[in-house]
Amino acid sequence: MTLLRWRCAVLALAAVLFAGSPARAQSTDARVQELERQVQELQAEIAALKGGSAGGDAGRLAELERRLEILAGEIEKMRIGEAAAAADESDYGLGPAASKVYRTERGLSIGGYGELLYQRFDDERDDGAASGRNDQFDLLRGILYFGYKWNDRWLFNTEIEYEHGGEEVALEFAYIDYLWRPQANFRAGLVLIPMGFINELHEPTVFLGANRPQIERVIIPSTWRENGFGLFGEAGPVSYRTYIVNGFDARGFTAGGLRNGRQNGSESKAEDFAWVGRLDFTGVPGLLVGGSAYVGNAGQDLTTPASGSVDVGTTLLEAHLEWRWRGLEFRALGVQADLDDVTALNAALGLTGNQSVGETLKGHYLQLGYDFLAGRGGERALIPYVRWEAFNTQDEVPAGFRANPANDVEILTAGLAFKPIEQLILKVDYQDVDNEAGTGIDQFNALLGYVF
Amino acid sequence: MSSSRARRLAAALSLGLALLGGAAARPAFAKVFLTVEEALRLAFPGCEVTRRTAYLTPEQVRRARELSRGEVPSALVTSYAATRGGQPAGTAYFDTHRVRTLPETLMVVVDPQGKVARVEVISFREPEEYLPRGAWYEQFQSEALDRDLQLKRDIHPVTGATLTARATTNAVRRVLALHRVISEGGRP
Repeated sequence: MTLLRWRCAVLALAAVLFAGSPARAQSTDARVQELERQVQELQAEIAALKGGSAGGDAGRLAELERRLEILAGEIEKMRIGEAAAAADESDYGLGPAASKVYRTERGLSIGGYGELLYQRFDDERDDGAASGRNDQFDLLRGILYFGYKWNDRWLFNTEIEYEHGGEEVALEFAYIDYLWRPQANFRAGLVLIPMGFINELHEPTVFLGANRPQIERVIIPSTWRENGFGLFGEAGPVSYRTYIVNGFDARGFTAGGLRNGRQNGSESKAEDFAWVGRLDFTGVPGLLVGGSAYVGNAGQDLTTPASGSVDVGTTLLEAHLEWRWRGLEFRALGVQADLDDVTALNAALGLTGNQSVGETLKGHYLQLGYDFLAGRGGERALIPYVRWEAFNTQDEVPAGFRANPANDVEILTAGLAFKPIEQLILKVDYQDVDNEAGTGIDQFNALLGYVF
Repeated sequence: MSSSRARRLAAALSLGLALLGGAAARPAFAKVFLTVEEALRLAFPGCEVTRRTAYLTPEQVRRARELSRGEVPSALVTSYAATRGGQPAGTAYFDTHRVRTLPETLMVVVDPQGKVARVEVISFREPEEYLPRGAWYEQFQSEALDRDLQLKRDIHPVTGATLTARATTNAVRRVLALHRVISEGGRP
C-alpha cells in the first residue's frame, strides 16, 4: 500500500468521524464499531508496513501512527460521550466536579413495568363459611414511565398507570425537579409520599410477594401520591425527602384503613395540608435503615352540627430496615397512625358500632428471602421467601364504639420467586390470612412481572 | 388542636429537625460526576498519566470474555497508565455500558497488583433514583478478578438500583479481565 493510499484511508476515516448529516443517520454504536474496525485494519497494516519498510519511511510511519492514535482517542470520546469533554469553567459557582451533572445531555428517558396476577381464593373462610370470593386473573398494572430533561437544571418525571387491563388510568406521579446541588434539590407536582418500602419502589422485581404487603396498602396506602412540593437530597450516607402536600380527605377513611382517604391529585381538597419527611441511612453496603413521619389534618372543611369543624389531625410514624447480604434479603417495617376527632368524624360519616374509623392503626411485618442461585454467575435468581405481617386498623377506637375483630389481621405468606433475567420475575405464593373474627380467606397467588 | 395531637406534632417535628440536623452534619456528598480529565486527576494526584491504546487479537478478546464471564464489546481498549517517580501507580479504564435503557460511564482504576483501586461514576443518564447511594461503590476496593467478585457474593445488592449494581459489577469484571489480558500480552 502506498503512502498516498494510507493518507486517503486516514482522511476517509476522519471524514466518517466528523461527517455531517449522512453520518448522523447512523447510530453512535454503529459508527463506533465501524471506526474501530477500520482503525484495527490500519493498525495491522502499519505493523506489516513497519516490518518491510526502509529507513526513509520511518518518519512518515510515525506520523501515521500519531494520526491513528488521534482517531483512537476520538473513538474513546464517542464511547464515553459528554464526560470526555475537557474540564471547563465551573458552572453556577460550583467546583468543576460538582457542576458536571449540569452538563449531562438533555432529552427523553422511557421505562415501565407491569404485573399480571392470578389469585385463587379458598372456597371457605377460616370459620368454615363459604368465602364467596371468585378467583381472578388480572392484568393488574401496566405502567409507562417518561422523564424529560429540558436543560441542565430542570427535569420532568411522570408515570402513567393503566390498571386492570386499562379499566383505570391514572398518573402515579408527575413532578418537576430543579437540581440545585446534591444536598438540596426542589420538587413540585404530584409526588409519591416517601413512606415505607413500597410506595416509592413498587416495581414487581423490587419486592417479594405476588401481592404487596397489606400493611403498605391499608395504613401506608400505596401507591399514595398527593400534590405538593418540597426538597430532596443526599449528604454522605444519608438521603432525605421532605414535602408539603395536600392532606388526606378524612371522608374516605374507613374501619379498614386510610386507603380511600387518598386524593391522588384529582381536584384535591386543599383546605388542609400536611408535612411528610423521610431519612435513610445507607452507610454500610447492603444495609438500609430509616424512618418517616407524616403530620397534617384531614378534615378538609368537614363539619358536623354538633362539633362544627372537624380537623381529623393525622400522624403517621414509620421505621424500616433492609439488609441484603449475599443471597439473603431481609426487611422489617413498623408503622403507626394516630387520628384525632374520630368521634366527630364517625358522626359526620354516619358510622356506628364497629364501623368506627380507627383512632390508632398499627402494623408491622418481617420478610426473609434467600437467592439459592446467588453467586453462580448470570442474572438468574431463585428466591424462596416468607413474610409475616400483623396489623390492626382499629387498634384503638373512641369510647362508645367497638373494634371489629376482622380488622385485627395476621398474614403469613410463603412463596418462591424466579428471575430468568433481572427484569422479569415470576412469583408464586400462598397466603394464610387470619383475623380475630375467623373470617380470613386464604389464597394462592401467581404473578408475572416485568420492568424495562 | 387537642393536647395529645399537639404533643405528637411537636414530637414529629422535633424528630424531623433532629434528623435533618444530623444529615447536615454528615460528611460531604460523595457521589460526583466527573470529566475524564477530572477523574484522572482525582485517581492519580501528582502522577504522570499516559494514554495507551491496545488492539486485542481475537484470541485476547475470547480470553477476556472467558475471564469476565460477560461481553467484551470492543477489541480496541484505551487505558490511562499512571506513574509516580517512575513507579507504576495504577491504570484507569473508562467503561461505558447500558444500565436500563440508557448508558453510564464508569472509571475503574486497577492497582499495580491487578486489583480494583477505585470505581467512580463518570456519567449516568438514567434517572438518578437508579444510582446506588452511600458507600456502595467502596465494596469494589481491593477486589480481584475471582469468583467472589459478583453481585450477591462480595458485592451486596441494593434495592431499587439492581440493574445499576449488576451493570457496575459486570463492568468491573470486564475491566479487570481486559487489564489481565493486556498485561499478559506484554502491554500494561
